[in-house]
Amino acid sequence: MVDKNINPTEEAASADQKGTLSRRQFLTGFGLLGGGLALGGLVGGAFLLPDQVVAIQASDGYLLVDTKKCAGCTSCMMACSLTHHGETNMSLSRIQITQDPFGKFPDDISIAQCRQCPYPSCVEACPTGAMHVDKATGVRTVDADKCVGCERCVNACPFTPSRTLWNFEEKHSQKCDLCKDTPFWDEDGGPDGKRACEEVCSMGAIKFTKELPVQSEDGYEADLRTGTVWDTLGFDGAPKSGGHLG
Amino acid sequence: MASGNGYSGKILKVDLTTGKFETILTEKYKSWGGGHGIGSALFFDLCEDKTIKGTDPGNVVTIMASPLSGTLAPSVAGRCEVQGIGIQAYPIGWFTRSNFGGRFSTQLKFAGWDGIVLMGKSPKQVWLNIINGEVKLQDATDLWGLNTRETQEEIWASVEPSKKDNDWTNLGQSRDSGRTTQRPAVLTTGPNAERFGPMAALIHDAGNGAGQGGFGGVFASKNLKAVSVLGTGGVAIADPKALMAARLWSNSYSFAGHHDDPAEYVGLTSFGSTPGKPLAPMQDTPEGVKSRPQGCVGCIRSCRGRTDTGQGNESQCVDFFWYDAHDVKAHGKITDAAPRATDAIQLSGVNAFAVEAATLWLEQLYNKGILGKGKAIDSNLPFDKFGSGEWAEAFINCIITQTDIGKELCKGVAQAALAWGRLEIDTTSGILPLQEWGLPQHYDARTEVEWGYGSLMGERDINEHDFNWHVYWTPTIAGLFGVEPAVSAQRLAEIFAKKMIPYNDPMAINYSDEGIYSESMAKTVAWHRHYTRFYKQAMGFCDWGWADFVNPYGPEHEGMTSVGENKFINAVIGGNMTFAEGMEVGRRIWNLDRAIWILQGRHRDIEKFTEYNYTTGAQPGMTTYEAPYTMPVFENNEWSYKSVAGRILDRQKSEDWKTLFFKVEGWDVKSGWPTRETLEKLDLANVADALEKAGKLGASA
Ligand code: SF4
Ligand code: SF4
Ligand code: SF4
Repeated sequence: MVDKNINPTEEAASADQKGTLSRRQFLTGFGLLGGGLALGGLVGGAFLLPDQVVAIQASDGYLLVDTKKCAGCTSCMMACSLTHHGETNMSLSRIQITQDPFGKFPDDISIAQCRQCPYPSCVEACPTGAMHVDKATGVRTVDADKCVGCERCVNACPFTPSRTLWNFEEKHSQKCDLCKDTPFWDEDGGPDGKRACEEVCSMGAIKFTKELPVQSEDGYEADLRTGTVWDTLGFDGAPKSGGHLG
Repeated sequence: MASGNGYSGKILKVDLTTGKFETILTEKYKSWGGGHGIGSALFFDLCEDKTIKGTDPGNVVTIMASPLSGTLAPSVAGRCEVQGIGIQAYPIGWFTRSNFGGRFSTQLKFAGWDGIVLMGKSPKQVWLNIINGEVKLQDATDLWGLNTRETQEEIWASVEPSKKDNDWTNLGQSRDSGRTTQRPAVLTTGPNAERFGPMAALIHDAGNGAGQGGFGGVFASKNLKAVSVLGTGGVAIADPKALMAARLWSNSYSFAGHHDDPAEYVGLTSFGSTPGKPLAPMQDTPEGVKSRPQGCVGCIRSCRGRTDTGQGNESQCVDFFWYDAHDVKAHGKITDAAPRATDAIQLSGVNAFAVEAATLWLEQLYNKGILGKGKAIDSNLPFDKFGSGEWAEAFINCIITQTDIGKELCKGVAQAALAWGRLEIDTTSGILPLQEWGLPQHYDARTEVEWGYGSLMGERDINEHDFNWHVYWTPTIAGLFGVEPAVSAQRLAEIFAKKMIPYNDPMAINYSDEGIYSESMAKTVAWHRHYTRFYKQAMGFCDWGWADFVNPYGPEHEGMTSVGENKFINAVIGGNMTFAEGMEVGRRIWNLDRAIWILQGRHRDIEKFTEYNYTTGAQPGMTTYEAPYTMPVFENNEWSYKSVAGRILDRQKSEDWKTLFFKVEGWDVKSGWPTRETLEKLDLANVADALEKAGKLGASA
């Protein structure tokens, strides 16, 4: 196992100064050359086509979220960490809910879920193939054993907050795997199973889809309200009010 | 990895006088469960003189999470319990409790703490900053006069100066010191809260308040403005698979599992309620305002909202009720006066129940010509604009600036009435419905006795709706709509009897003229005290989600209570605690609390409701809820629902009921003091010793 207490990118810089280069630093440095030079086998899930264009298998599924439905309870965050790590820990959750209690609906809440990007910058940025596309499911995910802790995937994710996160307890990066690997859950996860965040969300604000969703700057365009029980709840529209009973 | 099962393992003791911190190992107090249980035990051990006033530096304040805080236990994880000697009740500020939701207890656990104990008084104005294991007292001079929102925003910026939008923030120097996207959770007082202490609440985020007890004033008396906490750790779970399974099982008892087939249910329920409905009117906002449901951490119930105006965010129930009816009366509908009034109390950190009672009473005094410009009680408040946002804001402002009638009201409602020479006359006529201990009537002791007796045998308005949704609201609402309640009175009695372990009394909810004085009702009140002390106040089960007696989705309308609670507790903590065992811990906590009140001067002789309860029936407009008060009664060998509105309490029968209650509790019937035998059975020999030393141990039968 590599020593993941130190960010090897920083270590590589100091090693360079000393004129030495370890295998890990080599790999780290290699990654710096950029994603265009991806090698089959090094970047898992990518394969080299004859014309040298890298095509990456699409994910078998995506998480849609409708922030207008979200109640900000952060149960999804706790379910994500519970099923993956056996503890409830928001800092280890692969879905992040951020909110401003004083904000104005609908801008008071953001849901940051991994988009399982068609061209995932995180996968592209990984120098060791730890961040890879799972062959069976197309899910973009981390092989923790291969992760050297350079955090390039964390920095490469184009979204804020980064959907790839640094697990500072176990010292590797991690990201949403659509619950493919949930050792602390009795259910089967992944695109053909169940997703913990989706299951616990009492508002139905998270929904799994197999179709590649339409994307905008702000995320997938998802309206999980119209045509559902939401229409009758009085939210996203004024609750009828007129004083309390009695 | 997080360590321990459910517990973080340590409690932070802060000596404000010296500025020193100590760690108390939670292990020593685990037999009390968490929350209120541990809080009472800590108070008993650490508060040397329990007869002091709440503003005395010797007062010990605990802010406790539960082992279930920050877990997936539904409608549990976000609650937080505050205890200490209060300054709101009259004539004695009893050792009391308050409770608030949101994310504070969760962040406390994630930071590695099960609770905080505040001792002493700081020599200068400070706030407490907790970031994981790092704890600091910081200067609060610049925060002292700020409102609750300004204070929180200042603290957020100070704790996370580099935070950008929703991005990850690294806490500390090392990259492994922890990252979070979350804001610090801050519990704060309003501006200069020491000046309106008995009215002062503690506020967290936009709408979570610990209102009862005057803990805002207690904080300020210690020169403490706020406590901020941010954590990046986790809560270890004994059986993660069982916790996930229990959570998903509970979905079948809630709207969460029934989006395609939501229940049609006339009345109010707890766990089975639809977010915002049928409580949508409790998010009183003007027509056209859009909102989302909003919940505390881990909630399935999400009973509050956030609006597109930002007004009334996270508020609900009495936060709006204190003024919404006046708004409607003045304007024929809800205008922005109601949310303005709501925000006025949240930003100022003023207790909603106190101003609700005060407002109803002041309106009466104004109408009678007793209060107003140049009147006996002189006031320049714009009563001609009563019902407007302007009046509400001016009223709250006069309390927090101690101007106009706020000069007296800042000392508390009962205390102001006393100063104006109206306490006796108005609590006799009932136009000032301070039901017990100088505290506002919430639900009517004359009709819904479990609420009244529970408050009287305790120290505050219980504010526990376990029975209330089903024995009062549902039959009353059904009656107003002209429909039969979904659950018959007989079936309701069966459900309650089945779930009320260990008494299982078939007459538990008999609210007839005889039933309210019966031994069955004594057991009901005892059960309620024990249940709420452990399950709600120690473990954190939210009053609006639990107890789950009647559930529209449950088999034959039976909810999860007596089965559900321990599924979550055992999954998180491990072990195999039964429901009955939890009830026994509740009995133990209740006895300890009782002992503390006795040391403060409690005796059965002073356990009496305010006069109006024995002389007048409920008067429409005088109390908060003057609907027909339809309740289950067993009369002529038959269960039915019947309006018991207008009933008055019989003095002697109430006294006889107290005797029955003390017998059920194993207390001396002459004094209402626990006996050594009772306390020793609860492993409280040290408490019996303390009572004996004070000459206040109950005599054995
Ligand atoms: S569980 Fe659902 S409602 Fe709660 S924070 Fe997550 S997305 Fe929002
Ligand atoms: S982590 Fe970021 S870059 Fe990678 S797939 Fe998810 S959203 Fe895309
Ligand atoms: S799908 Fe699974 S891994 Fe992805 S955010 Fe949800 S709970 Fe976490």
